[in-house]
Amino acid sequence: MYALVDGNNFYVSCERVFRPSLNGRPVIVLSNNDGCAIARSNEAKALGVKMGAPWFQIRELANTKGLVALSANFALYGDLSDRMMAIAASYAPRQEIYSIDESFLLFEGMPGAELVSIGRALRDQVLCWVGIPTCVGFAPTKTLAKLANHVAKNAERKPGSYPAEYAQVFNLGACSATEVAAVLMATEVGEVWGVGPRTSARLKAYGIHTAQDLTRVDSKMLRREFSVVLEKTALELQGVSCARLEDVPTDKKQIACTRSFGRPVLELAGLAEAVSSFAMRAAEKLRSQNSAAGTLQVFIHTSPFRTDDPQYSRSVTVPLSRPTSDTNILVSAALAGLRQIYRTGFKFAKAGVMLMDLVPETVQQAELDLICEFDGLQQPPEKRLLMKAIDGLNRRYGRGAVGVASAGTNAGSAPRGWTMLQERRTPAYTTCWEDIAIARA
Amino acid sequence: MNSHDVTAAPVLLSTASQVPVIGIGSAVCAGFPSPAEDLGAKRIDLNDVLIKHPLATYLMRVSGPSMREAGIDDGDFVVVDKSIKACHGHIVVAVVDGEFTIKRLYKRGGRIKLQAANPTYPDIVPHEELVIWGVARHCIKALPV
Repeated sequence: MYALVDGNNFYVSCERVFRPSLNGRPVIVLSNNDGCAIARSNEAKALGVKMGAPWFQIRELANTKGLVALSANFALYGDLSDRMMAIAASYAPRQEIYSIDESFLLFEGMPGAELVSIGRALRDQVLCWVGIPTCVGFAPTKTLAKLANHVAKNAERKPGSYPAEYAQVFNLGACSATEVAAVLMATEVGEVWGVGPRTSARLKAYGIHTAQDLTRVDSKMLRREFSVVLEKTALELQGVSCARLEDVPTDKKQIACTRSFGRPVLELAGLAEAVSSFAMRAAEKLRSQNSAAGTLQVFIHTSPFRTDDPQYSRSVTVPLSRPTSDTNILVSAALAGLRQIYRTGFKFAKAGVMLMDLVPETVQQAELDLICEFDGLQQPPEKRLLMKAIDGLNRRYGRGAVGVASAGTNAGSAPRGWTMLQERRTPAYTTCWEDIAIARA
Repeated sequence: MNSHDVTAAPVLLSTASQVPVIGIGSAVCAGFPSPAEDLGAKRIDLNDVLIKHPLATYLMRVSGPSMREAGIDDGDFVVVDKSIKACHGHIVVAVVDGEFTIKRLYKRGGRIKLQAANPTYPDIVPHEELVIWGVARHCIKALPV
């Protein structure tokens, strides 16, 4: 039996842990650069704020309805997510962390009745230890577990959508065939895991409106008219497990670090700082999965929304003569690429670095060490130790504690022009000494 | 202007700036092996005593003099454990008017209140259900040096 454990309105719930005054108020969390709503409290949903709504369109609600908007505080969300995931993992032999706020658990040979009480204990522990409310859905397949979780959430939030006893923790696997059919019938096809808005519109043209309808369609037709993926989804809804638990995270094929600037950047110097910093960060991610990159790409863009400004968008792919994970080489390559594509007279709004052509470093290394002995070129062992030391320092003292000088520095009075706009960010309560919460005495 | 994917010439590895590295590698010594190596002794870590439940432990900084007689002063850090059920006599972090406050929990004969450890501060008697955020287990204070 699978379980899906999911934090309710996760980012908002994280904010409320350290700001209890936000309880009961409409709260949203905004994306990078305070662009649009990426998390909403139930109260904000009730005001009609849609997922992804641009901030400028809903700003008025702050004055009229007391809507509180916060900048995303990923240091906080990441730490609370770690705690929640670790607690969830202690309840089952296997766990797949699916996203920052969702994990699948796999229970084997566990009787159905017991699962609900296990789910309740898990929910209570996460709520008590971390302060995040969760919902837990149990079912024999991942797609059904996801659906059971949706049921648990909606039975709590929207009374009447599903039977009230399904709220918070729901075991679809312990339901009778009639009860399962009723749940599937009450669930719109667009709510099924993996069915996007476009697919769901097309399905409706075929008369497939609910999850129950999808289980009744001839699977060959689904494969022919839609995709193998949808055929598998339909099978999973019928209780046939097609998606396995991926508890060993697969290494990324590409690593990207891109960001919109807080304000337009015109000069090469400013872009060079940003690009150096992205390359550094990407290199760190690369080393954390023990890979080396064979190719690097840099891009710079003006803002497509400032239609009056001259537009410029260019990227460059820089092949590296040998796969590497060395920050210095990657930063140098990124800067060399940037110099090729930079033109004066444009207001740049976004830049990024992407590492591609990734190979496992372990395979790479033996070969390199051999070559080093011959041609005395880069990547001597102490260089790897240096990279390891840098990663260690940044983990310990916070991102950006140690880096290459071309990435600039936040020290001193003038902040870097390209850093994120985060006017409404709450403190990093659990990851930064200066930001620790205050208890009045 | 909108063209993507210009391919640049490969960057020679030797053009990468060289960073001098001093003595990070572990030294190889001949002679007697250290007798301590096999014991796996680890230097004492304060977290072992201060943090009983790492997943449920949070730090807070104290602001104000109301807990002075409990030895908790302005500027001290408190180690707060959310996994403990708060009982009579515990020093707790409670939510009062949407803010965190640290006080001693009084819970006797059906009466619940928050008591300061400073005679100039009155008891706080909650008019709604009292929300206890966590229980303070340790206080960390800096001494003058």
